[in-house]
Amino acid sequence: MMHRTTRTLTPSLIAIVAFLTVCPVVMLILGSFSEGLGSFGDFTLKKYIESYTDPDFADIIVNTTVFTIGSAFVATLLALFLAYLNTRTNIPFKFLFRIISIIPMMIPHILFAVSWLLLLNPSNGLINLFLRQVFNLQESPFNIYSLSGMILAEGLLDLPIAYLILAPAMASFDVSLEESSKVCGASNLRTLGKVTLPILRPAILASITLVIVRSLASFAVPSVIGMPGRIYVLSTHIYRIIATGFAADYGMAAAVGMSALATSTTLTYIYRYLTFEGEKYVTISSRGYRPTVIDLKNAKYPLFAIVAGLSCVLIVLPVLVLLYTSLLPYSMVPSAKAFAMMSWKNWAEVLRDPISLLSVKNSVFLGIVGATLGVILSIFVCYAVVKVRTPASGILESLSFLSFSFPGIVIGVGFMWFFVRTPLYATIWSLLIGYIATYLPYGIRPLTSAFVQIHSDLEESSRVYGGGTLYTLRRIVIPLLIPGIVSGWILMATMFVRELTLSVVLSRPGTEVLAVQILRFAEDGLWGKLSALGIIMILISTSLVLIASLIGVKLVEVEK
Amino acid sequence: MFGSRDRRVSVSGSLRCPAMEIHIAHVSKDYFSAGKRIVALSNVDLAIPANKIFTLLGPSGCGKTTLLRCIVGLEMPDAGEIALGDEIVFSKEKNIFVPPEKRGLSMVFQSYAIWPHMNVFDNVAYPLQTAKAPKEEIKRKVEKTLRFVQLEGFENRPATKLSGGQQQRVALARALVAEPKVILFDEPLSNLDAKLREETRKELRAFLTELKITAVYVTHDRIEALSLSDTIAVMKDGRIVEIGTPKQIYFDSDRRFVADFIGRANLIEGKVAIAEGPYTIIDSAIGTIACNQNIEASPGEEVTVCIRPEFIRMMEGDTGNGPNIFRGRMESLVFVGDAYEGEIRIGNTLLIARIEPTADLKEGDEVTLHVDPGHCSVVLR
Repeated sequence: MMHRTTRTLTPSLIAIVAFLTVCPVVMLILGSFSEGLGSFGDFTLKKYIESYTDPDFADIIVNTTVFTIGSAFVATLLALFLAYLNTRTNIPFKFLFRIISIIPMMIPHILFAVSWLLLLNPSNGLINLFLRQVFNLQESPFNIYSLSGMILAEGLLDLPIAYLILAPAMASFDVSLEESSKVCGASNLRTLGKVTLPILRPAILASITLVIVRSLASFAVPSVIGMPGRIYVLSTHIYRIIATGFAADYGMAAAVGMSALATSTTLTYIYRYLTFEGEKYVTISSRGYRPTVIDLKNAKYPLFAIVAGLSCVLIVLPVLVLLYTSLLPYSMVPSAKAFAMMSWKNWAEVLRDPISLLSVKNSVFLGIVGATLGVILSIFVCYAVVKVRTPASGILESLSFLSFSFPGIVIGVGFMWFFVRTPLYATIWSLLIGYIATYLPYGIRPLTSAFVQIHSDLEESSRVYGGGTLYTLRRIVIPLLIPGIVSGWILMATMFVRELTLSVVLSRPGTEVLAVQILRFAEDGLWGKLSALGIIMILISTSLVLIASLIGVKLVEVEK
Repeated sequence: MFGSRDRRVSVSGSLRCPAMEIHIAHVSKDYFSAGKRIVALSNVDLAIPANKIFTLLGPSGCGKTTLLRCIVGLEMPDAGEIALGDEIVFSKEKNIFVPPEKRGLSMVFQSYAIWPHMNVFDNVAYPLQTAKAPKEEIKRKVEKTLRFVQLEGFENRPATKLSGGQQQRVALARALVAEPKVILFDEPLSNLDAKLREETRKELRAFLTELKITAVYVTHDRIEALSLSDTIAVMKDGRIVEIGTPKQIYFDSDRRFVADFIGRANLIEGKVAIAEGPYTIIDSAIGTIACNQNIEASPGEEVTVCIRPEFIRMMEGDTGNGPNIFRGRMESLVFVGDAYEGEIRIGNTLLIARIEPTADLKEGDEVTLHVDPGHCSVVLR
């Protein structure tokens, strides 16, 4: 009994989502073979030859490889350590692990990068200043402006993603596999090495692959930490081509972007293959599952200290450093003098700065309107994919996850080639469309699980017991969807408020957004103003999260 | 037009309901799956009597659930007519399709379909709320029904915080609360563990007998079908193969498929030798078998003899050559607690037999066995 509306639903959604995800890619490809942004001109390979024969290009590839693989290893090793402690040992205060896995997603990457810069830069990084004073050193012991500095910051940033892949895999595999190893006389450590880790291999590989994809797309750390140290990776190289120098060359940016896009798409394909294989590999036993907990004995509290330290580094330190810096005229180690010099001057300046205020306004608008529109689109897409299930819904599903593998800056260049031909160019709507296109998977994922949860039996039983279509929608379907809608909205809104990579390409005078304004402050070395604006940004996303959660709770209560 | 809806809001004090028969005529339905046409129902004619427990039994994919869903209105047949009592709820010819919410039926789903965002009270009250019954009446009826299924005091529990058996009873309470004339059950016990399933089966039987309600029960479990039903309809490949009481189906089935499906059976191929007389005489690989004259068969016809394992009797010593006495060798003997399960080889044929646990037998023994001709039935292939 398919109605006409549901029959046309899937094709029209395919058209919308294909426009959002395929259009920038097509424009990127066209652009890479064209002469200039204004007019395509003749088909030419000039841009490819120019960009790939650039003598610096080899260095950039080496830097990118070291940076992405290094970050992947840092993030995955830390995540393995944390996941193992949490799921398999009797370490105290396990709630900390949840915080570690979720909260860092709330801290915008650019602020995280800046806070590490403020701590470890060689001229006036707080930790460097402190160590120089204490040990009377001539030189700063740490230099964040290095590949290892970038890897450290990016690895910590991607730790939550790695943890979210590894922890469930670690928690769900059959304990009897380990027990049988121990019965055969192997020690805990030997069991870990010979049984546990090999079984987890698909999850570990998936985590490494995903972090590589993420760090390849990463722009915050390479721009804030890498660029001042003249260490360029693909994303900052593209940024350099379009944002610095005499003339922005979008053709060359597109040509370079093609390799980033191809790498990222291939890796994402591998990741999906691995997680699919992983489901077969990791044996989840429904019967007799009980996690045997390993007693850490004396190592319990030292190990916990490491975890507590990590959570400090991930959550508390960045916020504290920003707050501290925002109150000072210049960087100095905390001292009586420093506290005496504290003032609200930076805050006052930011709140009087018209561009900063405009960026706050724009980001709040993009966060609220963008997330709302994005969630509405996600609801329709998930409904078509999960509930209508025509042969075309498979196409829709793949399309809607396509942008997951797109590096933001590359897709920004693709959108630039498109928007420059439309009246949307340099308007806030171009950012809005770009945001929704790039972050659609963040809305789709929670809503898909919400729709899957609404088993058709739940709707059918409502119909049998006298509920018409609309009544069923109101009493059964929507209440069950609300948690998914709320988390989809929160994910999208927080992503939009702090969006950087797409915005550095698409943002023009008049459409400044928070993260881009923060990047400008970083480029000018205005750390105090940057910190003040950064904290405003954190406050905005936190309040959006709180408001959305409260509305969600209220809506569910009304239904009851 | 919809008498059932008026009855819903009635303030009748008992859970008893008026009788309602279900008539199904020439109902067919096809599915298309992966480009292939699958026949789910093929020209089904069925009259389901009022106030009885009627079971649709069959292997998975036989169309029993599709038939149930056609009755309740969740599927639309491709052809035929369905009437609940006097009201036609589906007719291809007359272009009638009454949607499920207007049919006034109740259904217990295999998954229970308990709404996870509501507590027990709201789940059970739902059918009354959709019928816009007054608040006090809803409260009174929900309380009474919860008492009936022994879930008093569970009103404010979130539905997801219940055990499987309790969820099952919430589903039953929801089905009963509006006092429907017909309740449909879609394998309601298949998600319970074995012990609970047995208890719930007995409870359900007691509930339904007490209520005098028309129940249509779908299952693939023969024990459930035999123990719960007043009438069983066995289905295969979208068709009704045989209808009868549990005993008729078990002892006197006409069909090899039904005899095999309803219980463990020795099915022995043979040919009719003599069709007249007190017994039908069949020539088979194990010898001549005297059978119950349950079907018309002519000499020379190829048939199958069905002998249930529990009717094979072991005889002490060599007691000569009577009718239905066979000699064989005990091939295997497994003690299963309340009985032995034996396999007896007669020539090339293996017969399974249920032997009393006190029997003094061991594997390899030469044995003599006897089957009462009244318990040998001839079934068509």
